[in-house]
Amino acid sequence: MFNHTVRGSRSPVRDRAGERESTTAVRLDGVTHEYGASGGRLRSSDERTVTALRDVSIEVPMGTTVGLEGPSGSGKSTVLHAVAGLLVPTAGRVELRGTDIAALSDAERTRVRRHHIGIVFQRFHLLPSLSARANVALPLVQSGLPRSDRRERATNLLHDVGLGDRSTHRPGELSGGERQRVAIARALATDPDVIVADEPTGELDTATGTAVLELLTDIGRDRAVVVASHDEATLDVADRVITLCDGRVDDVR
Amino acid sequence: MSDEGDELPDDVGSGRRARWRGIVGLTLSRWWRRATRTTVSRIASTIAAVALTIALLVVVTGIALALAGGGVANQDDADVRITPEEGGTLSSVDGVEGPRLGATNDQAATIRSHDGVEHASPVLLETGQLESSDGEPRTVRLVGVVPDDESRTVAGLSTADLESGDPHYANGSYSGPRTGEIVLSSTAAERLGASPGDELAVSTGPGGRTSSAAPSVRVTAVADEGASGSDAPIALVHLSELQSVSGADDGQLADRVLVWGESRAAQSAATDAYPAAAVEVAGETDPSSLFDDGLAFATSVLALLVGVTICASFVATTMGMTVDEDRRMLAVLESVGFPTYSRLAVVAVSTVITTLVGSVAGIGLGMVGIVGVNTIAGGTVAPGAVAHFHPLFAPYAIAVALFSGLVAVPYPLAVAARTSVLEEVNR
Repeated sequence: MFNHTVRGSRSPVRDRAGERESTTAVRLDGVTHEYGASGGRLRSSDERTVTALRDVSIEVPMGTTVGLEGPSGSGKSTVLHAVAGLLVPTAGRVELRGTDIAALSDAERTRVRRHHIGIVFQRFHLLPSLSARANVALPLVQSGLPRSDRRERATNLLHDVGLGDRSTHRPGELSGGERQRVAIARALATDPDVIVADEPTGELDTATGTAVLELLTDIGRDRAVVVASHDEATLDVADRVITLCDGRVDDVR
Repeated sequence: MSDEGDELPDDVGSGRRARWRGIVGLTLSRWWRRATRTTVSRIASTIAAVALTIALLVVVTGIALALAGGGVANQDDADVRITPEEGGTLSSVDGVEGPRLGATNDQAATIRSHDGVEHASPVLLETGQLESSDGEPRTVRLVGVVPDDESRTVAGLSTADLESGDPHYANGSYSGPRTGEIVLSSTAAERLGASPGDELAVSTGPGGRTSSAAPSVRVTAVADEGASGSDAPIALVHLSELQSVSGADDGQLADRVLVWGESRAAQSAATDAYPAAAVEVAGETDPSSLFDDGLAFATSVLALLVGVTICASFVATTMGMTVDEDRRMLAVLESVGFPTYSRLAVVAVSTVITTLVGSVAGIGLGMVGIVGVNTIAGGTVAPGAVAHFHPLFAPYAIAVALFSGLVAVPYPLAVAARTSVLEEVNR
């Protein structure tokens, strides 16, 4: 399950096929981030800034699921965004398989995200005008795969997440749990090393949330998964749970 | 770390093509869904704005083309027109003379002898002066024509009130009896203070000198107000009498020859008679004539500038608003690894599709508009078509719309480029 590969995948991050179990997928080293600061420098001396992360260091080995917990504003989402390359921290290193993606250009970071990172949002963020299959195939468009290959891979992934018979349905025709499973299939489209999930069960009922968590557990066997959640059931699937408070790592269990 | 193409080691070219096909396909798919289901009103309003602008362009250019095709002085119901090649046009009553056709009286007789040809008449245009009722000379555009038994329209005036034939011509001797008949447009009659039955003295040339060779003419009819399709002072006279007065009898000169009858036969006869001249079938005005006529050219250029300006403004505004509403989509594309150029390509392709669809609708609307303008004009002020459609209008309108889209596209692109993925996914 979830072992479909994408042809010709190369990016600034080295692809070490077959070494996944033995390598560190993600490493945050002394990461500090201040909102209101730009490119690591403050825009002006009197501009009000909010420090979201303070000297955060986290390591996520391949094949591990790490949970992030903490109150609102503790920095969970900021860590996820930094890992996903959506945010460049003010200071510190964000290494993905040994490459500091914080030091890359926007274009390179986008390419890293395309090949190595899958993102699952709390609110799914599927494109309503596209079918489930087209949503799953979306990350593959930029990879230059022929349409037939994209469709085949998206169909397989939808089958893997139990939505083989929903491939032509649009998001508006799917339940919340089905939408989240489509979003997970989309995150897996390029067979990434790292999956980041922000409150993946936040909009789901308990039964549906459990099914989604089983999926995430399955996914996490051969890649690194970072999950941010308030929900204990969600955090229970993690191999390690990191508690954040006021932008600092408060506890690791 | 090269910036692009590094993920395509096997076949970079086909991978790149597949990527662009994918981006265009994705955009088309989304556009269709949004245009028919999700954001129907927004996209429909953009298309409608483009369509109306393009329709306006088509109608105004059609009017300019009709103007270049002759304007009021050329308003006739002939099926074929013969004009000197590259001779410019006499686009209005105040137009400037160009090259003329020779031996027109003889050639018109030859054309009339062809099967399928009902009638052929040379048409001579001269600016002349007639003495008004108060004795003052008034400038009038004189149109010489050879009438027949049928009522025909030349220069917007009916030939029915002129005696059939051209007796003064007398087989080229110009010694036959003058009819002295003249038909005035309502404007000419008003300017001259003349009414049917009045006698008027004729002069041509600079200074309005009364010609000794031109005895007075008698007003046989005054056209109804608006019948000539313009406010121009026009008068219809027999051809040979005008040729004698203007000196065009030497060489039997005329500005054009009009042919009535079955189009194909008339065209064939015209081509046989004047193989080096331009033979134009009614309703098939050559668009290149726009470049030969100053007023028509200025009108079409004005229509182009206004069209591009309005179209680009509408497209920029509405597409900018559409993109603003669609920021989440752009954020999702960024989150799944679409680089900036691909996201902007989605916006640009979407804008171009909207513009193209609008232009096609605009061409259809423009055709309807031209029919409408001609119908209204025909029922009120002009006997002939005041606007012509030409097949080249279609690619022209599409090109104008595309250009407008390109002019407009930086704005939606700028809106798209300002999208913050974090703001959108956290919203």
